[in-house]
Amino acid sequence: MTTWKVLPKIVILLVAFLFLSSQAAFAAPAEKGKPIVIGVPSSFKSIEAADGLKAITLAVEEINAKGGVKVGNEKKMLKIESIETRDMEPGVPLADALLANEKLILEKKPNVIIQGPTRSEVLLAAMDLYAQYKIPSINNAVASKFVDKYLSNPEKYRHCFRMFDGKYVVAGLGDVMAKMNKDYGFKKAYIVVQDAIWAVGIANGMNAWYKNNGWEVVGFDKYPTGASDFSSTLIKAKQAGVQVIFCIFDMPQSGILVQQWKDMKIPAVFAGFISPLMGSKAWTTFGDKIEGVINICFDGGNLPLEKYPPAKKFYEAYKKRWGEMQVGHKPAVDYDGVYAMVGAIERAGSLDPDKIAKELEKTNMVGCTGRIHFKDHQYVFGVDPKIDAISAVYQWKKGGKRVPIFPDSIAEGVIEKPASMK
Amino acid sequence: MLVYGFINSVILMMIALGFSITFGISRVANFSHGGFYILGGILTWYGLIKLGLPYFLSAGLSIIIVGIIGAVMYRVVLVRLRGLELSEVIATFSLGIVILELLRGLGVFGYEFRNPVFIDGSVEIFGVGVGIQRIIIVCAGAVLLLILHVFVHHTKMGLAFRGVAQQEHTALSVGINPDQVSMLSLAMGSIMCALAAVLILPLGVISVDEGYDILIKALAVCIIGGLESTLGVLVAAFIIGYIEVLTSMYISSSLTSVIPLACMLVILLIRPSGIFGKSKEIEERV
Repeated sequence: MTTWKVLPKIVILLVAFLFLSSQAAFAAPAEKGKPIVIGVPSSFKSIEAADGLKAITLAVEEINAKGGVKVGNEKKMLKIESIETRDMEPGVPLADALLANEKLILEKKPNVIIQGPTRSEVLLAAMDLYAQYKIPSINNAVASKFVDKYLSNPEKYRHCFRMFDGKYVVAGLGDVMAKMNKDYGFKKAYIVVQDAIWAVGIANGMNAWYKNNGWEVVGFDKYPTGASDFSSTLIKAKQAGVQVIFCIFDMPQSGILVQQWKDMKIPAVFAGFISPLMGSKAWTTFGDKIEGVINICFDGGNLPLEKYPPAKKFYEAYKKRWGEMQVGHKPAVDYDGVYAMVGAIERAGSLDPDKIAKELEKTNMVGCTGRIHFKDHQYVFGVDPKIDAISAVYQWKKGGKRVPIFPDSIAEGVIEKPASMK
Repeated sequence: MLVYGFINSVILMMIALGFSITFGISRVANFSHGGFYILGGILTWYGLIKLGLPYFLSAGLSIIIVGIIGAVMYRVVLVRLRGLELSEVIATFSLGIVILELLRGLGVFGYEFRNPVFIDGSVEIFGVGVGIQRIIIVCAGAVLLLILHVFVHHTKMGLAFRGVAQQEHTALSVGINPDQVSMLSLAMGSIMCALAAVLILPLGVISVDEGYDILIKALAVCIIGGLESTLGVLVAAFIIGYIEVLTSMYISSSLTSVIPLACMLVILLIRPSGIFGKSKEIEERV
């Protein structure tokens, strides 16, 4: 009798034991197989950020297809968690963008961050957030003060890295100006720029370059975002007889500037950074009006460079996965950023943020933007992709071809005067 | 400078005309104006590029669709809010934001959204090169003003519009349905807004953010000229257009976006009803 009374209790205990032990058995591998989370907080209604996320996805798919990332003795898959920070949309306060960053950190618990905020001032503020939560990050906003902030407290900001700096645009385009001075005797320029911190920063740098190199800068006009008539600048430039109109714009309306340049038959080379004219589809959009325009691709890997196969390989892979790339900034450095981060994790053999940051500092790898290595937590850009990362300057030529013209290591053609100057 | 000042003034006039017509007749300040403008442009682009329709068919259809949306907005939403000015503003403003942000959410960002110019090329006017599209805009603006004048003064519907604009209750007593006229005025204002988009947007790339700028520009022109006055819109557009060009030429191009707002503030301080405004002036006298 006693046995019959005790038996159900024994059975219940046995079942409970089996259930709990099975849970424990399953729980361990689940924790063990947890993926590495890449956080991507950015403003995806900016085409650069959206295409950058596509490049990150491409890199993650490639790495996962090869079995993932080796962390110690274990292989881990990569997982992307992105959040819309809206920091490039007009009127969105910096605090809101930061809040989105923090939400991503607290809810999705990313191990690392790639790309980071799009607007420079948001990145500068987010550096404190990444330092607080100790998250290794490779960002790419153009914020000229990034290095200054990092150097102000290297210990605190040891987890923050960045891929690009506006000063490299000045260096690259400065060399192009020197080339035009040598080949054609150009020495008179007019600067016209979008009234945004990053753009004015680059334009100021270029203004200084012109002055230090004996050029005359006839005018320096800033246009508010959304401006739709640039005739006054073009008239002044024509009257002064400038040979180069230097411009920095990423607003969609800047396409109007180029149309007016063509319509008004301004006899000057149009050079700088005009985002709407960057991608291969710009020729379809604007037609031969953009022939002769010189544009800088911030990250060289965003162009299919014949003389640097890793760039072409990335460009083709991107095109196959997502279609034609339309931007000159973010995809290539984001793609490289994932590989640089994965390399650091594998060398660290751990997801410990301090160890990853230390390894990131030692990065020296071949990327699609060139050789990737850091100085003061900043990609080093130069003129040879075998030595440093590079920007690529190209000129739109007949038939809608983007011909790389600088640096010499990747150049496939020479600078030609536009039709209005011939 | 004279040439581009003139062209920019006509562009401003075309942007503001739809807003002014709607307010002049129905007293509804249509704050979804910017949304309708971008919608007109993007529908044209969609018909042309994605559906492969002929340019003018695509443009015509988009103008009609935007007009219908304007009428439906009145029939469904605004008719219930008539006389509640603040509610009308909130409702139309909200709809404008919904349109713009919906377009953004549907992927309208980037640089591929561009309607081609009607005729490519440029001509010289007083020694200044001008794109033919800008000349088309100027001609279209002049024709539009003429049509509007004929419509308002010499057609039965136009007279009904004027009747409601002058005295809604009296118009009702002679058999004019103010609700119907107001609905038509919303449709007409929306059509003019979409027409402006079809003509002006080929100058650049369609951007959702431009919708917000367009609303501010239309408001500035209408407030300076007098909200319900077509002549006021014309005069104000020329004032702002030329001040913008002069500022850009001789002071600083970065101030051009501030000019319409500064002019608006000055006018509100010295003549709240605008240069040719009547309603507020009567209230002020009383």
